Amino acid sequence: MAPQKLVVIGTGMASGRLLEHLFEIAPGAYEVTLFNAEPRGCYNRIMLSPVLSGEKSFQEIVTHDEAWYEDHGVTCRFGERVTAVDRDRKVVVGEKGEVAYDKLVIATGSAPFIIPVPGKDLKGVVAYRDLEDTNAMIEAAGNPGSRAVVIGGGLLGLEAAAGLRLRGMEVTVLHLMGHLMERQLDASAGHLLKQDLERRGIEVMLQASTQEITGTGKVEAVKLADGTELKADIVVMAVGIRPETTVAKAAGLEVGRGMVVNAQMESVSDPDIYGLGECVEFDGAVFGLVAPLYDQAKVLAKTLAGEADAFTVRQLSTKLKVTGCDLFSAGDFNDGEGRQDIVFRDPARGVYKRLVIENDRLIGAVFYGDTADSNWFFGLIQTGEDISANRDTLIFGPAYQGGASVDPLAAVAALPDEAEICGCNGVCKGQIVTAIENGASDLAAVRAVTKASGSCGTCTGLVEQVLAVTLGDEFSMPAEQPMCGCTDLTHEDVRRLIKGQELKSMPAVWQAGAWKTPDGCHSCRPALNFYLLADWPVEYKDDPQSRFINERKHANIQKDGTFSVMPRMWGGITTPDELRAIADAADKYKVPTVKVTGGQRIDLLGIKGEDLPAIWADLNAAGMVSGHAYSKGLRTVKTCVGTDHCRFGTQDSTGLGIKLEKALWGSWTPHKVKLAVSGCPRNCAEATCKDVGVICVDSGYQIGVGGAAGMDLKETERLADAKTEEEAIELAIAFIQLYRENARYLDRPYKWLGKVGLPWVKARVVDDLAERRRLVDAFLLSQTIYQKDPWAEHVREQAERYAPIADITLEAAE
Amino acid sequence: MDTAVDTLVRPFIDVSEIWVPEGDRLAHAGGNYGDLSEFGSISEQITFGKGEGLPGRAWAQGRPVVLKQFDGSNFCRTEAATAAGLSAAVAIPVFNNAKLMAVLVVLCSDSEERVGAVEVWEEHDGLLMLQDGYYGAAKHFEWVSQHTHFPRGQGLPGGVWASNTPILMRDLGSGYKFIRADSAGKAGLTTGLGIPIPVPGNRTYVLTLLSALGTPIAHRFEIWDCRPSAVGSDHAAVLIDGICAREGPLWSEDNERRIKAWEGQVGKVLGSGLPVVAKGLAGSARYGGFVGLPIYHDGSVARIVAWYC
Repeated sequence: MAPQKLVVIGTGMASGRLLEHLFEIAPGAYEVTLFNAEPRGCYNRIMLSPVLSGEKSFQEIVTHDEAWYEDHGVTCRFGERVTAVDRDRKVVVGEKGEVAYDKLVIATGSAPFIIPVPGKDLKGVVAYRDLEDTNAMIEAAGNPGSRAVVIGGGLLGLEAAAGLRLRGMEVTVLHLMGHLMERQLDASAGHLLKQDLERRGIEVMLQASTQEITGTGKVEAVKLADGTELKADIVVMAVGIRPETTVAKAAGLEVGRGMVVNAQMESVSDPDIYGLGECVEFDGAVFGLVAPLYDQAKVLAKTLAGEADAFTVRQLSTKLKVTGCDLFSAGDFNDGEGRQDIVFRDPARGVYKRLVIENDRLIGAVFYGDTADSNWFFGLIQTGEDISANRDTLIFGPAYQGGASVDPLAAVAALPDEAEICGCNGVCKGQIVTAIENGASDLAAVRAVTKASGSCGTCTGLVEQVLAVTLGDEFSMPAEQPMCGCTDLTHEDVRRLIKGQELKSMPAVWQAGAWKTPDGCHSCRPALNFYLLADWPVEYKDDPQSRFINERKHANIQKDGTFSVMPRMWGGITTPDELRAIADAADKYKVPTVKVTGGQRIDLLGIKGEDLPAIWADLNAAGMVSGHAYSKGLRTVKTCVGTDHCRFGTQDSTGLGIKLEKALWGSWTPHKVKLAVSGCPRNCAEATCKDVGVICVDSGYQIGVGGAAGMDLKETERLADAKTEEEAIELAIAFIQLYRENARYLDRPYKWLGKVGLPWVKARVVDDLAERRRLVDAFLLSQTIYQKDPWAEHVREQAERYAPIADITLEAAE
Repeated sequence: MDTAVDTLVRPFIDVSEIWVPEGDRLAHAGGNYGDLSEFGSISEQITFGKGEGLPGRAWAQGRPVVLKQFDGSNFCRTEAATAAGLSAAVAIPVFNNAKLMAVLVVLCSDSEERVGAVEVWEEHDGLLMLQDGYYGAAKHFEWVSQHTHFPRGQGLPGGVWASNTPILMRDLGSGYKFIRADSAGKAGLTTGLGIPIPVPGNRTYVLTLLSALGTPIAHRFEIWDCRPSAVGSDHAAVLIDGICAREGPLWSEDNERRIKAWEGQVGKVLGSGLPVVAKGLAGSARYGGFVGLPIYHDGSVARIVAWYC
């Protein structure tokens, strides 16, 4: 039988693989004509990244050279674009003439997605798809001191960034999302990857939204939505791809997101036309990784050879081609009901492993730093095997299966004497054992003698295990409770760790603190969020998702689901205009209850969630801001009238109260903080049961701290006496900052003072003037970021969040 | 391909030898002396104390050492080396944490035609600076290198430093444009192998071998990964990159090349944890000589680089 005419449009990796299979299973069945708009044949496109970096040459990644095409009788029409397909006459129209076909394969691949920002067409803005793009980048790297901005922190963008860096460029990666490669990695692995790239001198900016690319004639800079401007000699857009369907559309074939094909890769519109690769859509899915394309090629070769086969979508895995970055991800690792995580972290080696299990089956895996067993895990995901029998040791990989469960003490016992236990202070197991043998019988004693666990604290558990191994039952593990089930570290350990290792993001803490969960829990996240923003106000970005509902909504939720709104009244002083505005708001929003609070404020109770932005806007318009009645932060400063009106007043207590409130409002603290200033020892403002209470006396101001009048009742203790108002304010700020820096989350100041003791606080806040100055400066720096009215911010940026999603009652009634 | 070379060409490195600690001295543990058998037989009979001669100096100083002039140095075999036409040497210590495992010494002869580079880069204040290097006739490139520094992640040395992984670069002269590339291209340097050299303490050293078409350092380069995090609990290694004058690219996305300890010369490096120098190899890598260098990390061999002359 005479061979049929097969025309293939596109020489991507899929069509190369198709021809290999076809010539193998049906040699001589087809006369093949191959079109390619690029002036070359098939090469291994996914290896362009090492070509960009210089770690491979282009010749090495060519998969089919001229000789191969010649040997297989393929007519090559490279560098020639297909302009039309005439399905009636069954001809493909190229720029240089027509070719008749019996069967046609459209394998036109994908086109890069270019974000529609001003300047996207400037010279120097390139995508990253083919050799031309790669060469343009290599060319750009040729100028000394040149700078690249890569938009997109996915696979391609990061490979481009690493390649350009190796070529000698200064590289910045802009990524819109909160962590890199968010489709393939979770936040913890994304954090390790970011660290890895930063070690290579690549700057990574997350949540960075590109607003404009600027330049005269050629690209010169990239402007971000937050106003940042980055100089750039080249901008690489690697934000995604979309199926290239121009030829399929022009041929009148059905095209959705891609050219629609059935499981035999046949166009649903024409049985003689087939689709292959990134240009197709099958069962609603489009494809970007190479593995499914190879599967398609195999199926299509069989279809063309008259054999039966069907394409099915299977699980995919991802690896990043950046030398020295070991990462792997496969399957589904999103959170979901009924899903459980097994997490293993080794902070010292930078290893993170996470398995996602559902119904006793492994459905997803993310590994960073140790990918040795990734194929084994990928196999488990693909087969859907029941893993319940091996669940305890699953995370340790195939080598541990069938063995006894791992005892951490056995591992510690097996460590040689020279094994380093405390990396910060360079303390080996042998030194700790010697200290224990010489009488150190608990953690504190070992820490005092050897310094082990005295710095960042991550090795505390290990030191305790050495104690347990050495002393046997003479040592009992301390009763101090860990922060939550996610970690073995206590709150205090975590605070030390954040400061000691300069950890500035939650994923960094999870990794360094060997969290057993992928992304914390409802218990540790609010605490971590506070610790990070308190220690790194500039670098860390507040995470509203890690806050309790009251702080997320900026209002206290009531038992009927409505909210309370309480505007700030500085020092408890108000005006007729403010009162009128409050009254108007109460009328307008039908507020059922208006209450004067113990802290000298007016609380509006019973407000519907959807009315919150509007009532805030009205109160804002009258000059009032949020009273933060819901926050772990400064609540109120209660005052008495002081010298202005009172016969007994010794100082301007109202004025000082207002000054204190204006200095402190908006700050986040481990728990709520209430202040009061009384104008004389008669103490009308009840300052002696506040977290910070000032009693004015003739000689100045008595600053008391650590009072309580709730579940516990406690009188303040005298921190210091101040001669001037300025000194009183400084002492109050320094005390609150010390509390912010050291207390555990949800400890009121009196509880914290009970742990550290007043002398410890006095030594820092009162006696050490330099430390007091540092504390005040640190607080003021934090206030430059956090002292803002959340009402105004939410009214401006997030009003739609408060609208009800749908009025279900109405729909039901209709 | 552009890295293909005529195997008859005399390579840039003439002699490779291994020294291992025995008691408090370094003893000869193998070498490939090519035609210079007299120098070889003299070398086999001597040992070095800590600080003595070139290997002893690398041991004592805990870093790679480049020696470009034997006269006036503490090189112990000056007379024999000069008689053999050798004029420069580089000693590369192999440390497992603080423990010296061996010293690999390579020696080169001076000639107007011999182009190549063996360089040692050292970190100072966050930048890699050239500690020293031997360049043969590539004098201009030597000058450029002396006036170049590499931040983390940039260029071959900076890339090796940042990734803590050996890297094999192609087309140093054409595509590798910015950093020293112009001069590298003019000198005919095409392929570069960068190797992290772990030493005791917090110092960073990177060794680079830059090979020219005419006088290649080697005809075949291989990089093997043997970290447990890459190969699992097997005592094995996988080839992660390589290039060969005869076979072309050695890496394969689809077919992983894997060896176990003691399988072949690379397996011997893995099994013994020591560098291996061999000559007259059989099989696909049938070149005149083999050098395999283990790179330790966290107390075990993490990677092996091998070159075949």
